[in-house]
Amino acid sequence: MLKPGLAANRTHGPARPAVHAARRGRRPPPGLPPIILLAGALLAAPPAHAQDDVAIPGIQLGLAYENLYIPPLAILPFTGPETSREVINEVQAIIGRDLDFSDRFVVLDSLPEGLADEGIQYSLWDQYGADWVLTGDIGEFAGRHFLSIELHDIVFTSVERGRFPLPPLGDEDFRMAVHRISDSIVEWVTGDPGIAASRILFAMRPFGNPSAKELYVVDSDGEDLRRVTWDESIAISPTWAPDGRHAAYVSYKTGLPRIYELDMADGGERAVEIGRVEQQITPAYHPNGEELAFNLMGAGLFRYNLRDECCLAQLVGGPANNIQPSYSPDGDRMIFVSSRLGEATPQVYVIPALGGEATLLSPYRYGQGGYFTDPDWSAVSNKVAFAGGIHRRRVMNRYHIFVADPEVGDNRLIQLTAEGNNEDPSWGPDGRHIVFAGERSNGFGVFIVDSGTGRTRTVVASVRASDTDWSPALAAGPAGAGNP
Amino acid sequence: MTNRRFVLAAFATTFLLAACGSEPEPQMAPEPTGPTAEELERMRQDSIRRAREAEEARLRREREAAERERQRAAEMARRTLTETVYFDYDEATIRSDTETRLRAKLDILRDNPGVQLRMEGHADERGTSEYNIALGNERAESVIQFLTGFGLGGGRFTSVSYGEEQPAAQGSTEAAWAQNRRVEFVITAGGDGIGR
Repeated sequence: MLKPGLAANRTHGPARPAVHAARRGRRPPPGLPPIILLAGALLAAPPAHAQDDVAIPGIQLGLAYENLYIPPLAILPFTGPETSREVINEVQAIIGRDLDFSDRFVVLDSLPEGLADEGIQYSLWDQYGADWVLTGDIGEFAGRHFLSIELHDIVFTSVERGRFPLPPLGDEDFRMAVHRISDSIVEWVTGDPGIAASRILFAMRPFGNPSAKELYVVDSDGEDLRRVTWDESIAISPTWAPDGRHAAYVSYKTGLPRIYELDMADGGERAVEIGRVEQQITPAYHPNGEELAFNLMGAGLFRYNLRDECCLAQLVGGPANNIQPSYSPDGDRMIFVSSRLGEATPQVYVIPALGGEATLLSPYRYGQGGYFTDPDWSAVSNKVAFAGGIHRRRVMNRYHIFVADPEVGDNRLIQLTAEGNNEDPSWGPDGRHIVFAGERSNGFGVFIVDSGTGRTRTVVASVRASDTDWSPALAAGPAGAGNP
Repeated sequence: MTNRRFVLAAFATTFLLAACGSEPEPQMAPEPTGPTAEELERMRQDSIRRAREAEEARLRREREAAERERQRAAEMARRTLTETVYFDYDEATIRSDTETRLRAKLDILRDNPGVQLRMEGHADERGTSEYNIALGNERAESVIQFLTGFGLGGGRFTSVSYGEEQPAAQGSTEAAWAQNRRVEFVITAGGDGIGR
């Protein structure tokens, strides 16, 4: 379990982690087995007072990625003509925060005087402890701003350069354009996609109408919160299409729950007409973007071809509730929630995407109960996140966020949260961060947890949000410039 | 003085009568006479009308009382029909107090075959919102199964589940949760015909 690791870490203090040392071609410090270092990275989020009752028996409280080393990255003050000071400041602020939120770096931005005066002297930065140094220069040409960046690899003494056009400051796409630059930097360093240029959909009660629920969207850095639906009805279960432009959701505006598809770029909407009378809930896109899986209440899980508007087919039937499908990255399998083990114990199962034998993924134990729902299969990391808890003497335990790897047969689960109630996990475009609707001592909100470091940050504070769903990376163009 | 006035009056009367140029009739005190035939008929008609009106009023009152009673009974029936039923935590099974209420509804539904109902299933806030929609639906379906199990036509019932989205009681207490684990009933057709 966790506690010994934590204790060990406190004893040893912030040691130079093994991976970092390996990257620099050095041997890890003696006497520090990797498991302790894992716990060191973990310190950020799960509180040190973590007690046995916050973790479910048999489940590891910890991180989905082990043995991570977080390299220090120094950001030098961005330069450019004094007439562009406002743009320079804004771009540097956004990129600095994005790189911090990426949880891939320890961002060093309060640098000692003189260190950057004479160009980038690698030995000096190595001495200072930075693995990466970022510079930015804003140029202006024909009334347009450009950002030139240099990313210096101090350890391997190489440099990556890029030049990016910027929309005018105040333009609707300005922030997203800068976010995409941040994601480029993350990708240069890690080879993985970033999360900066993405948005999060969620549901909450609109101000002034306590019986309604509407959809809202917010940038992944918590900026630009906007209302999406104005139905004065109940809007729930939003889910982004793989194209990052469309999203499906459920609305009660006709009196019965029905699935609609939104165009997030132009605000258009269409009802998904499948010719069945049953209530429709919990839509999920197939990775091909053309098919939608969902539950027809009382009938089971179905799929439907949105593009050709045809081919309704049942995937899961039977008397139990089978809801909340989510496809594997290759579209060959599907996870969903089923009450087949009993009404009080919904569990998460894996099946072939066209139906077939179901395998239990959540930690059901006979006689123990348990309540596991909200599964989401990452298109990037191939891991599954879900929410749940166990009953104790028929009293509900708290809900926490779990991560499982369906490719690993040992049913090992990792519990990522340890405080409050946490629901509706959804993977970010990097397959590593997870957004969820949570509860903390200071209130409800939308939160993002990094399954690599355990670090949790607030996206939207003090809102009773639910049904959080994270977009794929938003490319430039209509999808990225989306005005929902 | 009095005398002079009398004389004056007498004189004026004589003058006036003379001025008319007609023969002066002997002054007689008016004798009491019975109603004319016309008047008599009118009075008879009036009495008949009054009697008829009284009877109509009585009948109207009786009808109104009966209607009030019928409406009261219909209102009672509607109230019984739309009385909310409650469920245990994470359960869709019919518990005994719910069964009592459903049996009362059953009698009214048998007497009023034109009545149709929509069952609206709800859940408390515990558990995820999507799963609670499924649970609310199970509760609504469980109620419909109970009623159709006694021979009522399934076509009379529809259902919708709101999950945890429309709580009857706010708050995160067991008392509020107990109020929110429920099926509500809405009369969708035949409501005016109840009790006729």
